[in-house]
Amino acid sequence: MTEESKYRDKFPAKNPDGTNKIDLDSHKFIKVWQGPNHPGITGNMSLELDLQGDEVMQCKTHVGYLHRGFEKLMERRRFIQCFPICVRIAVPEPDFNEYCLSASFEELAGIEIPEAAKWMRTLLLEMSRLQSFLMWMGGQAGSFGIGVVGQWTNYARDLVLDRFEEISGGRIYHMHMTPGGVRGLPPTGFENRMEETLQTIEEIMKDVKDTLFDNTIFKKRSIGLGVIKPEMVEPYGITGPNARAAGIPKDVRKDYPYLKYPELDFDVLTAENSDAYTRAELRRQEIHMTIDLIRQIMAKMPQSGDYMAKVPNVLHWQIPRGETYVRAECTRGEYGYYTVTDGSGYPRRINVRGPSYTHAVALMEKMAIDVNIADTAGLMVSLHTYPPEIER
Amino acid sequence: MNLKDLFKPFTAWKNLLAEPVPIKKPLERQGAPRYRGFHKNDLEKCIGCGTCEEICQNAAIDMVPVEGEETEEGDSGLRPRIDYGRCCWCALCVDICTTGSLTMSNQFQWIDSDPDVFRFVPGADEKYWDDEELGYKKPDNYELNNLDRIEMEEMEPEKRNHTFLEIVKGFSKEQAIQEADRCVECGICIATCPAHMGIPSYIKAIRKGDVEEGLRIMYETNPLPEVCGRVCTHKCETVCAMQHRGEPISIRWLKRYIADQVSLDKYQEIMGTDNLEKREEKVAIIGAGPAGLSASYYLAMMGYNVKIFEALEKPGGMTRYGIPEYRLPYEELDKDVEYIKSLGVEFQFNTKVGEDITLEEIHKDFDAVFAGTGLHLGRSTKIPGAEHEKCYQAVDLLREFTQGKEIEVAERIVVIGGGNVAMDISRTLARLQNKQYGQVQLVTTSLESEDIMPADEEEIIESREEGITLKPGWGPKEIKVEDGKVKGLKVIKCLSVFDNEGRFNPKFDQSENDFFAGDMVIEAIGQGMDISYMEDVELTERHKVKVDENYQSSKPWLFVGGDIVKGPDAISAIADGHKAAQGIDNYLSSKGEK
Amino acid sequence: MKDLIQKLKKRFDVNDVVYQKDNQTYLTIAKDQAVSFITHLKDVEGFTHLVILTAVDWIEDNEFQLTYMLNNPGKKVDLGVRVLIDREEAEMESIHHLWKTAATYQRELREMFGIDFPGSPRVNEDFILEGWDDIPPYRRDFDTKEYSEQTYYPRPGRKTHDPAEYMKKKLYPEE
Ligand SMILES: Cc1cc2nc3c(=O)[nH]c(=O)nc-3n(C[C@H](O)[C@H](O)[C@H](O)COP(=O)(O)OP(=O)(O)OC[C@H]3O[C@@H](n4cnc5c(N)ncnc54)[C@H](O)[C@@H]3O)c2cc1C
Ligand code: SF4
Ligand code: SF4
Ligand code: SF4
Repeated sequence: MTEESKYRDKFPAKNPDGTNKIDLDSHKFIKVWQGPNHPGITGNMSLELDLQGDEVMQCKTHVGYLHRGFEKLMERRRFIQCFPICVRIAVPEPDFNEYCLSASFEELAGIEIPEAAKWMRTLLLEMSRLQSFLMWMGGQAGSFGIGVVGQWTNYARDLVLDRFEEISGGRIYHMHMTPGGVRGLPPTGFENRMEETLQTIEEIMKDVKDTLFDNTIFKKRSIGLGVIKPEMVEPYGITGPNARAAGIPKDVRKDYPYLKYPELDFDVLTAENSDAYTRAELRRQEIHMTIDLIRQIMAKMPQSGDYMAKVPNVLHWQIPRGETYVRAECTRGEYGYYTVTDGSGYPRRINVRGPSYTHAVALMEKMAIDVNIADTAGLMVSLHTYPPEIER
Repeated sequence: MNLKDLFKPFTAWKNLLAEPVPIKKPLERQGAPRYRGFHKNDLEKCIGCGTCEEICQNAAIDMVPVEGEETEEGDSGLRPRIDYGRCCWCALCVDICTTGSLTMSNQFQWIDSDPDVFRFVPGADEKYWDDEELGYKKPDNYELNNLDRIEMEEMEPEKRNHTFLEIVKGFSKEQAIQEADRCVECGICIATCPAHMGIPSYIKAIRKGDVEEGLRIMYETNPLPEVCGRVCTHKCETVCAMQHRGEPISIRWLKRYIADQVSLDKYQEIMGTDNLEKREEKVAIIGAGPAGLSASYYLAMMGYNVKIFEALEKPGGMTRYGIPEYRLPYEELDKDVEYIKSLGVEFQFNTKVGEDITLEEIHKDFDAVFAGTGLHLGRSTKIPGAEHEKCYQAVDLLREFTQGKEIEVAERIVVIGGGNVAMDISRTLARLQNKQYGQVQLVTTSLESEDIMPADEEEIIESREEGITLKPGWGPKEIKVEDGKVKGLKVIKCLSVFDNEGRFNPKFDQSENDFFAGDMVIEAIGQGMDISYMEDVELTERHKVKVDENYQSSKPWLFVGGDIVKGPDAISAIADGHKAAQGIDNYLSSKGEK
Repeated sequence: MKDLIQKLKKRFDVNDVVYQKDNQTYLTIAKDQAVSFITHLKDVEGFTHLVILTAVDWIEDNEFQLTYMLNNPGKKVDLGVRVLIDREEAEMESIHHLWKTAATYQRELREMFGIDFPGSPRVNEDFILEGWDDIPPYRRDFDTKEYSEQTYYPRPGRKTHDPAEYMKKKLYPEE
């Protein structure tokens, strides 16, 4: 408990469950909506904040500005027709959706994808992680007023998107993993260009380290902000860097190995005392780990070979009744698809688990309390949430 | 607070003089070679099958008529129009395109204030990227269609050229479903089928495992599915959308699969024909070939009393007396006929109209007549020696063999003809030679060179496999006869068969000749008809019976169809019979009203 | 996994066990045993991570299937617990006391499937939909296409042709 909050013990009054008692009519509180259009909100979402002075007494997450009903939509699409849809569930990280969707169909249909496709998918997932972290880094810096970092890291991200464009023909929505495999291997010369990109990013990350992580302003504002205690991890369903920064070594890549991760050399990164700074630092290290993983993949990946399994005619493809949950480690934690099939040509139900579902709602609502309104954006970003995956 | 942390961020100033990174001329930025930009469509290649529309989960595609693209067999004349207000650039349409005509350019920059211009027909509406080489194409080794046929098991050549047992084994259920799975359900094939069978629908029934439904669909347009499932000329397969990048769907074998699965005793129940409503009128059918059988089936379904007069002792026409048993076992033909019989159609065999009964006599007893008497007179080359008794007509031999008559089989045989009939007689005789002499010594020669031989490719391949020597590109000059015995066939080089206008007008090189030794010669160069039983009906310039689109002749009560009107195959005869049945129904119904 | 299932079978009425993959098993438990079963899994068997809580509409059986995807982070195994509830009176005991995040899932299920979880915090507050007055949209009988056709209007000028129909019209219209 901070020094100040001691004085507040008497006011505001507490509800029996320990939450603050908010009485707007008392004129001692003010209600502020942060979002849905707000640079500190990572997407279309809003926080309904009840403030006392400039501190948050109560926070409610509101979503619904971007509900596209994708889960339902996919119940009315042939299996092959789902992959162009699923990418849009988490805009900055479409590839994890592509992977989970395809892998769940393949598992239920009993299809084994070729080796080269597995490598390719692993590569795409790590590239996706890299670009997403880079974008996040800019967002985190920007939410604490250090805008220049965003300029650099978004440039770095663009370079990764160039590589995506080379492989898949798309920058944002790659749609390169389809049920049965992938749509192609990297073009000739890709390896060199990828390496060049990685080196540029490493250079940029040096500047980011100097400018952001060794920066008084950032440190002052982020250290001690939004601490996630290890005992919160289970009740709040916390995964990914948010959990790892609290010392809980959860990483789907290690815990439930998939694709080619068992053949890659990496450790689960953890830290102590998950506050905004620690989490940022952990993610900075993750960027370097991802760069290393991409190098490993490029070195081990086959240059040729089959990359698409034989699938039935996709117009008539039916998958026997079954259900499965397929997960992957995205930048923010556990991403997963719970897929149910009923023997017809359409999925019966697809439920998408994005980490933001827990991080941006129950967790954010708790963490925001007692935070200065100027820091809520920074706090929210430090949880690394992508609202579109909450409402899907 | 750490002093270092105060000053470290200022190291960023070093970037002040760094070269800026933004793209200088964004409008000139090129998309990557695989970029998924605006679509391109090679209109010549595209067949308007609509598979792209079917796969598009955004409903971004409409199939629309396009100026300059004609509707013709194998091409609907429609072309995809894409609404970029909906397109998400997923390129599924490109991946699934049956012809590979649809691709994408790497161009993505196009600004306009009129939203409607973003809906256009790629390839037809000119765009600046039409000639752009780069852009997304369906990657090799990445295939959403199944291009290869499920292989059909056949009896090996060494075994089959000794026997008349059926060569083709037919699909198992699993194979049939796999083959049916390949169909993209575009329906392009329907127009080409002379009977316009509901091909994609019965293929779908196979996929669903519902052969009974499949049987019902087939009978809507074809009452001889066992026959056609084996010997149909399968023109539909020549236009199948899948043949552009792969092999066409085995439509014929799938049809056979359905018919083979259902036993005859279930037919009436499945098709709900156990209790047909009867009508007063009587219709006579002359000839129990495919045309006559088809007409009688559809007339019986409409409740008419139908009676068939047939010259020979069994039904089927050329499908029995022409087509050899190894291609169409008699019991399969009988199955189709038995079902028609079960609907109350009466058969009177061994009755040749014009000899045993006149057409006029029939007309007295019946309200309408359908004649489908086919082509049964073999045509002769009329070369010297052709009148020799050891020079036979293919159709005669085939008929006699079917009737169980003893036919002559020489040790060395020459067959003249390059069509399927020539192949049938050659392969039949080869089997008999094997039985009698333990070897095949048979030369089959045709005017046409191999590339334009009218026989099906598979017939040519299989004939060779069975030991027959093919000599394409020779014109018969004389049958050499010595001491009253046939010695063989003298031939001269045939340079071309058709003239510039495409008319039959063969050119020969007299200086190049050859001789094929043989003790017997068979002519298989075509058949003619005998319609002397029809008196004063109008004929066309080409000496065929003149009929209108309902197959009604110049005598209103007489309808004519099948080989004597059009030909050339069973399914055309079946289609004729069906249309004539409808014509007869119209005729009798309107007569009744008057 | 098999051992665990055997153990659980002794205490609970466990049915329809499917060993989907090495580390993932599905089973069905009766509605009235469900919450004590889940509590047992969490407190005794180490299934401390609630991965998802969602529903599947088996409209043809007039049932909703609730799926509680539980994860044991120590043993690294998942247990998909299915609970079938009546579709007409769609109601289930809440588990928000076990996991804070459960309240969010339950709120969404209430909104999207119309399944009530009495006592779950803010369960009746709009979550994603605001001012929705139709049937809960994730139910199978809610027709998204029909809804969008009624709610929005198509862009004028769209017209398509079926290739087979069109060819018939052009090539053999009279037949
Ligand atoms: C050797 C051979 C192989 C063939 N192979 C194929 C093939 O693989 N696939 C294919 O689709 N088509 C094939 N055909 C062609 C096909 O058999 C015919 O196109 C088809 O049978 C024509 O049907 P139809 O009913 O018009 O005549 P037909 O089948 O010739 O039937 C006419 C019937 O009328 C009877 N008849 C004739 N005159 C009289 C009369 N005066 N009174 C009473 N009855 C009479 C005949 O005996 C005969 O039964 C082949 C033809 C031949 C000769
Ligand atoms: S799938 Fe290809 S061939 Fe068929 S209509 Fe579309 S573009 Fe033309
Ligand atoms: S690219 Fe995708 S969305 Fe666009 S027209 Fe093709 S299938 Fe439809
Ligand atoms: S058989 Fe071929 S042409 Fe006919 S519907 Fe199927 S794919 Fe299209």
